[in-house]
Amino acid sequence: MAQLLIDEPVIEACRRGDRDAFHTLFETYKDKVFSIALYSTGGDRAFAEDITQQTFLKLFTAIQQFRGESEFTTWLYRLVVNACMDEQRRRKRLLPMEAITAPVQVADKALQESQFVRNEVADAVRSAIKELKPKFRLPILLKYIEGLSYEEIAEVMGCSKGTVASRLNRGHAKLAKRLAHMSDYAQLTD
Amino acid sequence: MFSNHVTSDASAYCHGELSVDDARKFAEHILVCSKCRNEFEQIKFGVLLAAQLPAEKAPDYIWSRLETQLERRQIQDSNQLPRRGTFPSRLQIVAIAATLLIFSVVTSLWYRQSKIGVIKQSFWQVTNLDGVPKIASKGFGNNGRLGVGQWLETDSKSRAQIAVGSIGHVEIDPNTRVRLLETEPTEHRLELAEGKLSARIWAPPRLFFVDTPSAVAADLGCAYSLEVGKDGSSMLRVTSGWVELQLKDRESIVPAGAACETRPGIGPGTPYFEDCSPYFRAQLILIDFGHGLDDRTLALTNILNESRPRDTLTLWHLLSRVDGTDRERVLEKIEGFVPLPPDVTREGILRLDSDMLARWRVALEGSWQGNMAAPKKVAEDWKIGNGVTRRMSNFGSP
Repeated sequence: MAQLLIDEPVIEACRRGDRDAFHTLFETYKDKVFSIALYSTGGDRAFAEDITQQTFLKLFTAIQQFRGESEFTTWLYRLVVNACMDEQRRRKRLLPMEAITAPVQVADKALQESQFVRNEVADAVRSAIKELKPKFRLPILLKYIEGLSYEEIAEVMGCSKGTVASRLNRGHAKLAKRLAHMSDYAQLTD
Repeated sequence: MFSNHVTSDASAYCHGELSVDDARKFAEHILVCSKCRNEFEQIKFGVLLAAQLPAEKAPDYIWSRLETQLERRQIQDSNQLPRRGTFPSRLQIVAIAATLLIFSVVTSLWYRQSKIGVIKQSFWQVTNLDGVPKIASKGFGNNGRLGVGQWLETDSKSRAQIAVGSIGHVEIDPNTRVRLLETEPTEHRLELAEGKLSARIWAPPRLFFVDTPSAVAADLGCAYSLEVGKDGSSMLRVTSGWVELQLKDRESIVPAGAACETRPGIGPGTPYFEDCSPYFRAQLILIDFGHGLDDRTLALTNILNESRPRDTLTLWHLLSRVDGTDRERVLEKIEGFVPLPPDVTREGILRLDSDMLARWRVALEGSWQGNMAAPKKVAEDWKIGNGVTRRMSNFGSP
């Protein structure tokens, strides 16, 4: 179940047009929204920034429609998913994945090696995610970036829970097949 | 449920989405079914891989861009937006970045040209004028492309020129940072974070915008320079046409030969012609950005004493920035230069009737611009917002 990361009073304040509350809400969810957008657009940061901005703009102007806590996270992710799908339809192609993050520098050699491996795996997973079809990619993003349950993912994507399970299965299988050469990395079993 | 193989439930099993009973049955099945067990191991590996997907950090500047858009929307939604030449009865001090809106004076020839010139592209061409300007922190030789979201930066020895489609160009001075925010057929927008730019734009109203920390400039088909200091304040100087500066419900219309300062948290000050005396300008600063009521009242007295006929530009803007007897004094001073038009009353001006203010302004503009008064059509239809298509249609077909 997706955890509501902000208090109900903050959402209520946003409904009243409180700009500080909206800033709090933005700071809480901006990385999650941006991550969805970035992976959905194949790593195009400019488009991901635009989608993030559009999502929060829509949220701010329509937040009065919220009626309770349970709606908020699924509604937010539905906004960003729809924006990503609109962008994909408009562009109709995947863009090359750009370098997104740099490895964190650590002093200890063993830790450095471990971090290097983790970064290699993360980069490989990013590239593999990019190659998935949107219908398989989005459930994975909503599950692993946003931490949504199958039921919540179904609500966001407008499909059944069984469809979510099936698409996640297919997505996992494709990732495993594409990155089979990484099965020896011990970190994956931590 | 488990009459056949169970691999369709593999992911749900890994994620704990199965009921206790179904999870038990799944586990029992894969113990005895090698096919399902092998497929489960593959999907489990995929789950482990997907769990390595890192979240990405959103850039900090998205909030400032979002704030600017929210401000613009609030201005559109607010009924306080005055028609051209009018101000609300009280200006409110605001603590967030404002947007400048510049309306361009459009002729049918410009309209056709701008329609041709306003084509959608995702970047602007940049020409290196001096030194080594950088786009996205990289030098670009003689010519480059500034994409949406990218920064163009100049150091103390470099300059650059940006082509805004075929609707104009912007020169970037040394020690300046600008970013392309939008380039759409109905809106082109730059952010000037620091430094100075000079723009020459020939476009329909509200097609080209420059965001600064303390105001947004909307282009009216003009030439101007805009400089932003490290503290977020800015100085606008108009050399041709008109420029509009706005922050929420505080706005200033600046004609050629005039200037206007802006301050963060306050927005645009009162415009003035640059050939005024330094003393006049100093008194105006006290009114716009000073704190003491007595100081402001004395400063107003000094301004009224120093005013020339063309300073009705300043005085007309001050009508909505002072109140009570001060407003009466300003009105009388303006009347001494240009009488009220027949359909405009003292009472209407004192209560800041938007229509009457607009009509008096039209009568005053002749002394502001010589023969180049702002078109009446712009005065009547000016409104802040994104209705560019509507405003373009107001100017008729080419």
